[in-house]
Amino acid sequence: MNPATLKRIGLGGITGNPIAFAVVLALMALLLAIPLTHNGYIELVFRNILMYAAMAYGWNLIGGYTGYVSFGNVAFFGIGAYCSAILATHGVDNLLLYVLLAMAVSAVFAAIVGFPVLRLKGHYFAIATLGVALAVTDIIANLDALGGTGGLALHQVDEAHFSIYYYAMWLVALGSMLGTYFIARSKLGYAFVAIRENEDAAAVLGISATRYKIVAWTIGAMMAGAAGAVFAPANGFIDPSITFAIDSNVFPIAMTILGGIGTVAGPFIGALLLAGANELLQRFFVKAHTLFFGAMIVLIVLLLPRGLVWLFGLRGGARAWLKSLSVYKA
Amino acid sequence: MNATANALVIEELSAGYGDTQVLWDVSLRVEPGEIVALIGSNGAGKSTLLGAVSGIVNTWSGGVRYGSAVMSGLEPDRVVSAGVVQVPQGRRLFGSLSVEDNLRMGAYLRRDREVDADLEKILAMLPRLRERYDYLAGRLSGGEQQQVAIGRALMARPKMLLIDEMSLGLAPVLVDQLIEILARIHATGVSILIVEQDVQTALEVSSRAYVLETGRVTLSGPSAQLLDDPQVKKAYLGV
Repeated sequence: MNPATLKRIGLGGITGNPIAFAVVLALMALLLAIPLTHNGYIELVFRNILMYAAMAYGWNLIGGYTGYVSFGNVAFFGIGAYCSAILATHGVDNLLLYVLLAMAVSAVFAAIVGFPVLRLKGHYFAIATLGVALAVTDIIANLDALGGTGGLALHQVDEAHFSIYYYAMWLVALGSMLGTYFIARSKLGYAFVAIRENEDAAAVLGISATRYKIVAWTIGAMMAGAAGAVFAPANGFIDPSITFAIDSNVFPIAMTILGGIGTVAGPFIGALLLAGANELLQRFFVKAHTLFFGAMIVLIVLLLPRGLVWLFGLRGGARAWLKSLSVYKA
Repeated sequence: MNATANALVIEELSAGYGDTQVLWDVSLRVEPGEIVALIGSNGAGKSTLLGAVSGIVNTWSGGVRYGSAVMSGLEPDRVVSAGVVQVPQGRRLFGSLSVEDNLRMGAYLRRDREVDADLEKILAMLPRLRERYDYLAGRLSGGEQQQVAIGRALMARPKMLLIDEMSLGLAPVLVDQLIEILARIHATGVSILIVEQDVQTALEVSSRAYVLETGRVTLSGPSAQLLDDPQVKKAYLGV
């Protein structure tokens, strides 16, 4: 499980391109400076990018590395957000406690739900996970103790300290990224990839698909839960429609795929590009921004089917790129 | 690769999927150091039998023992750790991983420090794989892929190798190469159970064989004898 045993059997790691990862770490360091130079709107935009990045990392473990395409990860984000709200309404005012409880509850919920759901494959798994997300949304919307459809307000820190939410989200994103990195360098990561590549082959080598699928799904749930735990107080108010928004479900998936599925750098690069572009397009095209946004996604998928991270490993310039496109379609 | 050898004993094994019974009271033995063939047509239950030994298919009744250890009901990882390793039908490689990583994945459950040494031995036995070391396994030819699948299983340090349809979809010249490889593996002390549709090949490389028909063993004996058996000739050899 740890890098030492990994080294013993000589596996090199499946982290993706090392340059891309270095670039992402450098960008993360730069993002640390955002609250010092920009308040308000820009800080909010980048906090959202970090939030989506953490969720994308969570999705990448099960959808990218393990190959089980989930449409239910927003449930963990929402559970995390509601954990914060419950603690807040009981007078607890500690971000660290919010995050720890959210991660614990998300993990327990994921393990319990994962046991039946992860027995399914392909389309059936995708539909079942979507069902889980919808069910959690509806249950919370009908629980008066959780504010029902009316939602819950959370106490926020005063304006002078507001950037604490930004830094907390930065830590959640960094933790998700480094967690992914260390998993991808461990035997655990190889178990995930073995399941994605060929579940039967994994089984005959003694890799228990059931066990490792639940591990991937549960760790991913903790990442999304932690992001939700910081989102709730940062936003100051949550209700089912904000917390379980379709964007929160689909964006992390799109970001991972555009950035580079099953890589350590991909989810962050995808989040930065997609959330950033979404923000810019909304500014310049108030009404038609979704049109351009959609077109952008289609173009990237067509021209860079393996994600942006793949560009870092490209040798031979435009010709190699065009050749790869024809190979890919063949 | 060699270690204390044991006999693989399958006794009155019944197994299937859901409500469908595939195997009916199948008994079969592989003695230490033997190459045994299990032959039969499509759908006879050959792969199900290997699945039951490997712990992938649930056994209904009867049992599988390896030496004194009971295998039936064990999780697949325990079966692999006991030294019984399967080369699955259709290669089942990890297509987007390199040949090296595919081979090393075979050692997933190992905790000893001799993995690199074993890898070197396997590459010496399968030199083609050294040439293809950094290639993605999915990009290799069928024969090369089968070599990766065999090499990957060897990385688990098997004492008993179960090989499912090794010759499937391969040109005769490639099958001959693989048979030479099997002989080399056998020479290191590994017992082998091969499951084949290619009856001629299977009977030529094995010392004993079993014929499986619709889930039941209908015939067994020394391979040379089965090659001359009129029933086998008529049903499987087309002569």
